[in-house]
Amino acid sequence: MLIQEQMSLQEKLAVLSDAAKYDVSCTSSGVDRKGKKGMLGNAVSAGLCHSFAADGRCISLLKILFTNQCVYDCCYCVNRRSNDVVRTAFTPDEVCTLTMEFYRRNYIEGLFLSSGILISPDYTMDLIYQTLRKLREECRFNGYIHVKAIPGADPVLIEHVGLLADRMSVNLELPTAEGLRSLAPAKSRPRILAPMRQIQRGIRTQRTEVIPCERGRQFVPAGQSTQMIVGATPENDYQMIKVAEALYQNYDLKRVFYSAFVRVNDDSRLPVLPGGPPLLREHRLYQADWLLRFYGFGADELLTEKQPHFNVFLDPKCDWALRHLELFPVEINRADYHTILRVPGIGVRSAKRIMAARRGAVLDFPDLKKLGVVLKRAVYFITCGGRMMYSLKIDQDFITSQLVGNEHKRTWDITNRDSYRQISMFDDGWMSPSPGAQDVEAAVLGQL
Amino acid sequence: MTEDGKKGLGEGTTTIFVCRDSLEGILCGVYDAWMSRLGHANVALELENQGNIRMFSQYRQVEETSEKTEKVISAICRKAGQEAYEMVFRVSLSREEEKADRIYRFLVYALNCKMSAKDMLQIPAVYEVFRIDRSVGNEAHLLKEFARFSKTREGIYVCTVKPKNDVIILMAPHFADRLRGENWVIFDQGRNKAIVHRADQGWIVVYTDTDRWKERLVESGDQKEFEQLWKVFHERVAIKERTNYVCQRGHLPLRFRPYMTEFGYRLGHD
Repeated sequence: MLIQEQMSLQEKLAVLSDAAKYDVSCTSSGVDRKGKKGMLGNAVSAGLCHSFAADGRCISLLKILFTNQCVYDCCYCVNRRSNDVVRTAFTPDEVCTLTMEFYRRNYIEGLFLSSGILISPDYTMDLIYQTLRKLREECRFNGYIHVKAIPGADPVLIEHVGLLADRMSVNLELPTAEGLRSLAPAKSRPRILAPMRQIQRGIRTQRTEVIPCERGRQFVPAGQSTQMIVGATPENDYQMIKVAEALYQNYDLKRVFYSAFVRVNDDSRLPVLPGGPPLLREHRLYQADWLLRFYGFGADELLTEKQPHFNVFLDPKCDWALRHLELFPVEINRADYHTILRVPGIGVRSAKRIMAARRGAVLDFPDLKKLGVVLKRAVYFITCGGRMMYSLKIDQDFITSQLVGNEHKRTWDITNRDSYRQISMFDDGWMSPSPGAQDVEAAVLGQL
Repeated sequence: MTEDGKKGLGEGTTTIFVCRDSLEGILCGVYDAWMSRLGHANVALELENQGNIRMFSQYRQVEETSEKTEKVISAICRKAGQEAYEMVFRVSLSREEEKADRIYRFLVYALNCKMSAKDMLQIPAVYEVFRIDRSVGNEAHLLKEFARFSKTREGIYVCTVKPKNDVIILMAPHFADRLRGENWVIFDQGRNKAIVHRADQGWIVVYTDTDRWKERLVESGDQKEFEQLWKVFHERVAIKERTNYVCQRGHLPLRFRPYMTEFGYRLGHD
């Protein structure tokens, strides 16, 4: 493998951002930090999205690989050893310059640094550590840093990196150990989970410590995240959200990201997906993920062994509500927060607004609209003052047909991007008549 | 004219208090209208030079004094809370013509309300202020994300924006904290107003005349390099197989793009 060292900064950036783009976790959330005198930057806990790429994904951080050289040969990865691609690496100085200059111009919220494995996990982790140390201590950068913990690296190194970064992540890659074994033979489940456990312990210990760390720096203050590839291996949705739930519960993860599989390598072990990446499946997984984290749902409520896939036509919350019609309708003026939160069409914000507003008055349907409730979905499941908005039957088939109609367009948009055409009066292929004698004559004489 | 609208024919005319388009102007208008003792249903607030002249109404010019402003502010903070005052402040930055009267109606409700008035969204007077506040707040938030600075030859970071509402003052504290060691300027092209920040010192609002400012904002060598790098990054980080321009437009509306580096904005050209 030949590493190109003579490339310009622009060429390196092109190669190493292109190689990093499949990593999905590009958020800058989870930590609030004020600016400091003599330093550049702060952090906002809600996170800021500075731009959006042509694929509609948020660009919050400067997402780059340190190097795209790699000793592993994971068959789904564009940077695997056996691929013939241009290889290069940044120097720590280059990463620092890019981050500082981009940050000053408000292009980015911070740095997301990942890397292929150069020589060994320890060697790579040390390079990342040197870069972060330079950025924090020499350049005095106080913005957001997300960094990958490399499985197999020395725990001491991970500990040091954790004190410089805001968020760390270890990619789970595939939801089951068998999947990992078949597609990424060099990686193993225990090796991935070990640094995750270490980071979790580090964060926990710190929380119970009386004296904060030296230099005032916290260990991974924005928590850790991970990502799983959707659709590369035959796991079903139920397995995926069970794994996600276990990670939230046992490893205190802040986020699990799902990445629809993009077939970048031609490999017989990989599935062929004629419809493109499984975007609708990824969308449903994110919806379910939100239900796990903010709505108090359990994975077993959403799916079961017998019904292991999400409904294509309905979002997971509507789907759940339709299977539990015995719990509805819910009285908006009396029900508790958690019950209201489970109504389709009511989100965390609108539920909180309902709780605040109903202290002063009895709410009616027009009021709910002002509070941000999506009545289109919610009407079938709520009463205001003991009355439903329309006299509707609470009947599973009827409500399903109504909701599916609403959801249909959105589902279509996700699965059929760019595949429809605007109907035009003039250029519909199947309608154009063959040219008649007059047309031929006109064309010959140039009278178009 | 008011939302209860039950004014009988014989009840006399509406008195309209005309105030300047600023927080102080509106708050003094609130003070005058309230203290005129004509009854809330018989008064209204309007901004200067806006809308048509209404029939059967008297117009009164509001006189601004800092004393009136302070009295109103302290009344809001005391009776409705700091958050309600912050809402009023943000609403006063809106571009909506009716904002002065909306603030008045909100304060009539909020200063007499026993509970937290800002949560009572089912009350029309509260909802209107909530709605305007949300749109001003959202625009300020988006501009914190989408503002782009360019470096001039003198080493000053300059950002040009053209917001619908007068939000640059809401952006200033964020950037003053973040870029505290830099000299920077945020220039509102539509209002000829700018925030000027000096390294490790505070920031001030400056009213500008456009032409001289444009002349001063010239390109310098170094910035081109990083602008080019940013464009390369922005293009490369998108996954081709997932191209979705509709989604991109939903998150990043077209009206912001003329001022953003990655969509072709260059300092000194517009």
